[in-house]
Amino acid sequence: MAPGAKQHPPVHIDFGDIQGDILRAYGNTYDCTSYAFVHIDCAPEQARAWFSGVVDHVTTANPWPRGEKPLTTLNVALTAPGLRALGVSDDKVGSFSREFREGMSDAARAVLLGDVGPSAPSQWERGLGTGETHVLLTINAQQPVDHKRALGKMKAAMKAAGGVRVIYQEDTEMLPGAREHFGYADGFAQPAVEGATERKVRGGGIPLQDGGWRAFAPGEFILGYPDEDTRVDPQRRLPNMPADPLGRSGTYMVWRKLYQDVALWRRTMRAAAKLYTAGDEDLLSAKVVGRWANGTPLVTHPDAPDDEFHPSSSQANDFRYDDDLDGMRCPLGSHIRRSNPRDALGWGGSLSFRHRMIRRGMPYGAVLPEGVMEDDGVDRGLVFVSFQASISRQFEGVQVQWLNAGNIFGLGNDKDYLLGDPFGKGKMTIQGKPPFLLSPQETFVTTRGGEYLFVPGMTALAALADGTTG
Amino acid sequence: MLRRRDPNVVGQAYGFQAMTPIRPGEEDALRAYLEGLYDDDRPSPLAKLERTHIARWVIITDFVNDRAWGQRRAEHLELPYLVFTSNFDGDLDSYLDELCSKLATEAAEVWGRCVGCPVQAEGAALKAYLKHNQVDCGLFFTPYGDATVPVVKDALAQREQMIAFATDSQGLDPAALQAAFVREFGG
Repeated sequence: MAPGAKQHPPVHIDFGDIQGDILRAYGNTYDCTSYAFVHIDCAPEQARAWFSGVVDHVTTANPWPRGEKPLTTLNVALTAPGLRALGVSDDKVGSFSREFREGMSDAARAVLLGDVGPSAPSQWERGLGTGETHVLLTINAQQPVDHKRALGKMKAAMKAAGGVRVIYQEDTEMLPGAREHFGYADGFAQPAVEGATERKVRGGGIPLQDGGWRAFAPGEFILGYPDEDTRVDPQRRLPNMPADPLGRSGTYMVWRKLYQDVALWRRTMRAAAKLYTAGDEDLLSAKVVGRWANGTPLVTHPDAPDDEFHPSSSQANDFRYDDDLDGMRCPLGSHIRRSNPRDALGWGGSLSFRHRMIRRGMPYGAVLPEGVMEDDGVDRGLVFVSFQASISRQFEGVQVQWLNAGNIFGLGNDKDYLLGDPFGKGKMTIQGKPPFLLSPQETFVTTRGGEYLFVPGMTALAALADGTTG
Repeated sequence: MLRRRDPNVVGQAYGFQAMTPIRPGEEDALRAYLEGLYDDDRPSPLAKLERTHIARWVIITDFVNDRAWGQRRAEHLELPYLVFTSNFDGDLDSYLDELCSKLATEAAEVWGRCVGCPVQAEGAALKAYLKHNQVDCGLFFTPYGDATVPVVKDALAQREQMIAFATDSQGLDPAALQAAFVREFGG
């Protein structure tokens, strides 16, 4: 369907059946997040008894009354082996998407995703990508003390149930100013979804040719709702989803632990800037990212950041690339332009609007103090989390075709410079007069682990807990 | 009188496609054989035909029917089909001669599982079979029909050489840049 088409019946979203933090973010008040990967080592009946207790505490997408934010939240996702461990039949598991069933660490898939060399699944941290993870519990907390209490309760419940244990845990914390470790404001460019987050439609929706924007059909992110393909289907069919009762109100989740070598990044930018516009490191780094450190888009502010810019403003993402098609302001291969090309690929946006994701990542590890140029050995980076109706079309489409390749942008073999290269090869072309070829492309980011998961809706969670999924 | 343009030719490039029904009961074996040809560690057997730009075998099991979009009745294939397509340099006859000799082993495994293929799937008999099952291109699209495979490979190598040079020589003063250019590309 053309991005501009508008005729369709209104959508009503059943927020009470959808887990929280997917369509609408819990927000920055929850600045501690733990991801606990659980292995089930007991019979399905025993596992379901434990799971049932978990499900009772899961936070839904229902809005909280003003001032009544819970101190902690809990959300649940499962891998394909996890569904089986809870007793779901092979037939039902077979109704899930192929990439979910095969997993992120599948050998052929890892090559496509760029998880090779130091990022290869064989190098991942213990417990990740091995098929041992069954359930992922995500715990958000407002305060460290609440966080500690919630983790204690989780572990006590596991001990009492027996046969379930945490095999990997990642604790993350919001960095000052909601920045990621390279120093950039992150996570504020999200898709605007019809019936949920329409107020962010300018810059978050689909750019229309008349200059306006349109929110995404919810089925792009939540199963059981019309997506951009089916929203005007005369038969009112829904997109494919796992068999009832598992699919409805659910979404696929991608979880990746991405180590960032901050000192290497700083040294590389400093050395390369000596050959670039008067040694301007900030400008060179902004060219790589597509935004200045505070989030100001380069395409609207090519010479200097807007000091008044605020990522949470409704205007923060309201920009397009139609008057910068040659990339002179924001390079064609910059990180944000690759990740979300908006109207940059032409054809009225038809080539890009089916490849958006909702991201809920969090940084982990302590900040490398400003000015430090040598690595201190601390493990730090980003836990990347995305939610989408199709891992292959959305996450993998972006990762494989847009970030790990340059062809669609007319950039030959160039990859996303910010993500680095596992073998320290490659370069970035920064358009200009003359253009600048930024190299070497070092291993700035290394994949340390990851999983493909499914986040069931509340009805599905109850069926999983009761063993009535079939 | 106007001569009808060959729908399979753009510039010097030829687009060949042949559709052959797969013998009952042979689809799985053919699929397994074709999947076995895919190996990251060794080149495709189709690379033995050095004039080839892009070539592939595809199995089509049936039509996609979708009545929601105005289709009046469902249609189905009686047998699954093997589709072979190849874009290559030069004329069809000499290319098929090359295919029938250099790909004799693979051809017997692939087309030997198709309806009507000669018992000895090789040489002139195989060539005649492929030509008999040729389907003219509806739209043969090629971005550089005048460039042969060696020309394309040479252009890519030059591109890589130029990128490496441009990257390494950034920041040189004009005299040093000229000297480096002469060293790299000759005077």
